[in-house]
Amino acid sequence: MQRAMNFTRTYGILIVTVLMFIALALTTDGFATWRNFRNILDQQSTVLIAASFLTIATIAGNFDVSVSAVYVTAPLVALVVENATGNVPLAIVAAIIAGLAMGLFNGIVVSRFRINSFIATLATSFMFFGAGYLVSDRSLMRPVSDAYPMLARSQFLGLTSATWVSFAMVIIASVLLTQTRFGRNVFATGGNPEAARIAGVNVPRVQIATFALLATAAAIAGVINSSRSLSAQPSDDFSFVFAVLTAVIVGGTSIAGGQGAVWRTVVGAFFLAFMSNGFNLHQIDPIWQRLIEGLVILIAVGIDAWTQRNSR
Amino acid sequence: MADSVANTHSLLTLSGVSKHFGGVDALSDISIAFEAGKVHALVGENGAGKSTLGKLILGIHRPSGGTIALDGKDISIEEPAAALRLGLVGIAQELSLMPRANVMDNIALGREVTRRGLVDRAATLKAVKDVMDRYDMRLDPFAIVGDLPMAERQKVEILRALSRDARLIIFDEPTARLATHQAKQLLGLIRALAAAGKAVIYVSHFLDEILEVSDTITVLRNGRLISTRPASVETRATLVAGVTGQDYQSQFPPLPPAPADGAPLVRVRNLTAKGVFEGINLEVRPGEIVGLAGLVGAGRSEVAHAIYGALAVDSGEIEFDGKPLTGPIRRRIDLGMAMIPESRRDQALFLGRPILENIALPYLKRFSRLSWLNKRAEKASVETAAANTAMKFGALSDRADTLSGGNQQKILFARAAIGRPRLLIADEPTRGVDVGAKRSIYQMIAKLAAEGEAILLISSEIEEIMGLSHRVVVLSRGRVAAQLQGAALTEKAVIEAAFSGG
Repeated sequence: MQRAMNFTRTYGILIVTVLMFIALALTTDGFATWRNFRNILDQQSTVLIAASFLTIATIAGNFDVSVSAVYVTAPLVALVVENATGNVPLAIVAAIIAGLAMGLFNGIVVSRFRINSFIATLATSFMFFGAGYLVSDRSLMRPVSDAYPMLARSQFLGLTSATWVSFAMVIIASVLLTQTRFGRNVFATGGNPEAARIAGVNVPRVQIATFALLATAAAIAGVINSSRSLSAQPSDDFSFVFAVLTAVIVGGTSIAGGQGAVWRTVVGAFFLAFMSNGFNLHQIDPIWQRLIEGLVILIAVGIDAWTQRNSR
Repeated sequence: MADSVANTHSLLTLSGVSKHFGGVDALSDISIAFEAGKVHALVGENGAGKSTLGKLILGIHRPSGGTIALDGKDISIEEPAAALRLGLVGIAQELSLMPRANVMDNIALGREVTRRGLVDRAATLKAVKDVMDRYDMRLDPFAIVGDLPMAERQKVEILRALSRDARLIIFDEPTARLATHQAKQLLGLIRALAAAGKAVIYVSHFLDEILEVSDTITVLRNGRLISTRPASVETRATLVAGVTGQDYQSQFPPLPPAPADGAPLVRVRNLTAKGVFEGINLEVRPGEIVGLAGLVGAGRSEVAHAIYGALAVDSGEIEFDGKPLTGPIRRRIDLGMAMIPESRRDQALFLGRPILENIALPYLKRFSRLSWLNKRAEKASVETAAANTAMKFGALSDRADTLSGGNQQKILFARAAIGRPRLLIADEPTRGVDVGAKRSIYQMIAKLAAEGEAILLISSEIEEIMGLSHRVVVLSRGRVAAQLQGAALTEKAVIEAAFSGG
């Protein structure tokens, strides 16, 4: 009985997602088609890239609201460089450096000054959004080279390059978390920071690294998005981080820190994607979609809180 | 004696009171009377039941048996609020004040004078000032409590108690965090409270203070009342004898012989962390077990943390293997230190993670290249270490919180074993573990010493210190009160030094 409960607790989201997949495949025309899956994978690529690394930051015990700001601002940096030089690799490097710098800044603010990560990254979000307006001179930017749009849109083995990049990022995040010393230190830091410190873990350094990785991933996601949409525009749009966070939470990574996995986030993202895809194919009113999505998040968080209580 | 306690003058009388927590008897068959106008001290070792007794009176715990009577009438104190209504108030070590509010608001809390539902500040201020005048304890009513020194904050809490018409006030270790002259002042204040007709219960570790301030002294040991006598017939010697008792049986393994006078592995000189400990000198040789004794709050764990690099010091030196020791915890682990901290749950374990990860964490470098883990080597090493501690577990992949307290403690010994440290600091290594696990932990410690590890053992249990140490350093109020070995190392000497107040 205990064993069955543990199994459900561990693999519940996977079971539910597979069941939904089967149900949709059996009942819905146009769901189980190669074309539909390809689209879902392409649509989910930016969320997966950022969510894999938000999983790591969450396990380390922190939250990062500024994922949105980095996602908006980094591609502006890329396009400024691209417009000026026509050099696409240089543009990508510039975006990654910008992301890395913003992430390091977040990490230092949170770990050295011990400011609550939610509040700190809310504040830095405004700074990063502001930087976006500055570098773009408040205007919509478009790529000038032919190569830039191909970053996300090339096809390889029937999938878009955006999809391949997301696969690579998911694998990197997962390997970091499960196969390296860094991953162990992440779990330790989020699970019990004082015990981690006593065990010789450099807790601030681990936290800074998780923020830096996350912002770099968010910058890559932003570049992919700008390549796909052929433009980037400065804004104060926070919505991206919430899509990303939803995938992490629905997957079952604990917002309390110290527990979670990248595979969970991937499953969470596809659970949400299948659900939304199913709604669309059945032409369900988007307003109802929102209501139901909200309810699903509540249930996921409720299960997390409930298992936290019952595990002590 | 138990029958004669209820006399006509007593304010609060406990008869045959007991308290069990699970299967543990925290208090058994306690009969005691507290009189108005008298200071009544409770003494005993850590865990003797002093605090539990106070908590029964304050409604924080409820007795498992026996009766409590106020003014000769049986009462039942259901909750802390009920105790307050009856005029039974506690002044705790950790004060329950609002640090950001001012003195007046803290004192008047819950008893503000109101008019038509709104607080009448002028009338409230007058009421607060009246209490201050009546007991001659004047403070600036508008000072922010968080800005006041500890001694003044205590006064705020006492004034709050008085403004609520307290009849009996319990002071639990009130001087533990005060400087000497402040402690003196507080003792004067306590005498004044008794003179004003309050019953005062005074819980403290410091025998000299107790002898100075009390009218009556009750000695508790292992949850039992040993004696209640007038302070005038007690001396330091009689109290120490009462507190320690005679009986203890050895469950300790034979110690390896103390190492000959070789060079110490660790040498601490004049180590000071302001407000925590001062001028600490101590040495530990390879193969030697040095006990660090003292009362809770004497600074034992803090000294250990300073050696381990987990607490910053203001001055003084630590030498390790003849070289000055600096740098963060990581460096000290790499040099060959390991620490089993006081609190498994808060400072050591990752309860939601596998046993294997808990054991390997500080030594992952040994099982990895460029951060990439060699999980097979890790598992092999952890399996050996776990087997050597006789830990009982299902699988190394099970979560740490599936184990019992004793086995959780063995996770920490296994962790230290992987490091093969040269110095092991064990802070309360048997806290909350059962007798069987205790014995095997003692054996492990003795074995490690026999293998040449230097061991610094911290314990609140005097038997443990006596049974396991080659040499004992006693701390009292952040200072070394005694260094004892050989014939001078007796239980009485350790306790006297611990109670000496530095």
